[in-house]
Amino acid sequence: MKLRTKSFLGDSLIVLISLIFIVFAFKTFWHFETGSVVQVNFQGKTYGNFSLFQDKKISLIGKEGESIIEIKEGRARFARAPCKNQYCVQQGWIHLTGQMLICIPNEVSIEILGKTKAYDSLNY
Amino acid sequence: MTRSIIKIKTTLLDHQIAKLSAIAIGLSLIESVLPSPMPGVKPGIANIITLYAMYRFNFKIAMWVGILRVFATSLILGQFLSPTFMLSLTGSVLSLLTLYFAIKLPSKFFSPIGLSVLSSFAHIGGQLFLVRIWLIPHASIYYLIPIYSAAALLFGFINGWITYRLLKHHNSI
Repeated sequence: MKLRTKSFLGDSLIVLISLIFIVFAFKTFWHFETGSVVQVNFQGKTYGNFSLFQDKKISLIGKEGESIIEIKEGRARFARAPCKNQYCVQQGWIHLTGQMLICIPNEVSIEILGKTKAYDSLNY
Repeated sequence: MTRSIIKIKTTLLDHQIAKLSAIAIGLSLIESVLPSPMPGVKPGIANIITLYAMYRFNFKIAMWVGILRVFATSLILGQFLSPTFMLSLTGSVLSLLTLYFAIKLPSKFFSPIGLSVLSSFAHIGGQLFLVRIWLIPHASIYYLIPIYSAAALLFGFINGWITYRLLKHHNSI
């Protein structure tokens, strides 16, 4: 088959449509929003939902000891954890929907919720 | 004891397929040792050969080259029938299917560049679909669509451009 391309009109069209699709995909799937509520899960159950705009400290006594969750200025974090590794504390503040902090030894996790629930890999 | 010689009759077409497949397999192997920023984000340079085969010869040869390449590469790398192989096969079959229809587009307006972009989108589209229904049946993989589409456009364009240059070099436009 001989190449008879005289213009790249069709190609330009394909590239243009692809570009539009990519921009659209980024806007749709990489849409992060600031959350408004933090859900605290403790020992496999929902301990409660707390507004992120009300500064608060929540103390939970679990198997390992005391975990302290701090809510301040629209963000949440683990202020203190009883475990050795301190992974949850070191991850710092979270504020976007779908973000999550977990303390496995003490069975505490917090998750930021918004108007719509964002995808996360933990539900899988 | 007499030695029996088994001779397989080969046609010129078979030799052409074998030659092109060998190049495609070589390119795939080179690519497999290159570091990748993310699993699945690969240039797919072997597709240059598939596309080249389709323009230079016909779709049938391109199909043979595309499918043989997947089987041979996976056998060499020890991935035969593994998820990697299944993904590779799905991608190749879908991109070949796309090429089958795309080659019917008027060649006055559509060069190998456009066809390469289309086939790389079909490739990644099929793979993401397989990942979604089989490997990671969760909506979180939608996060990856923008990255994979951007990679498909970039590498599809580059591969198409290389094919175009190759054809221009070997052929007349």
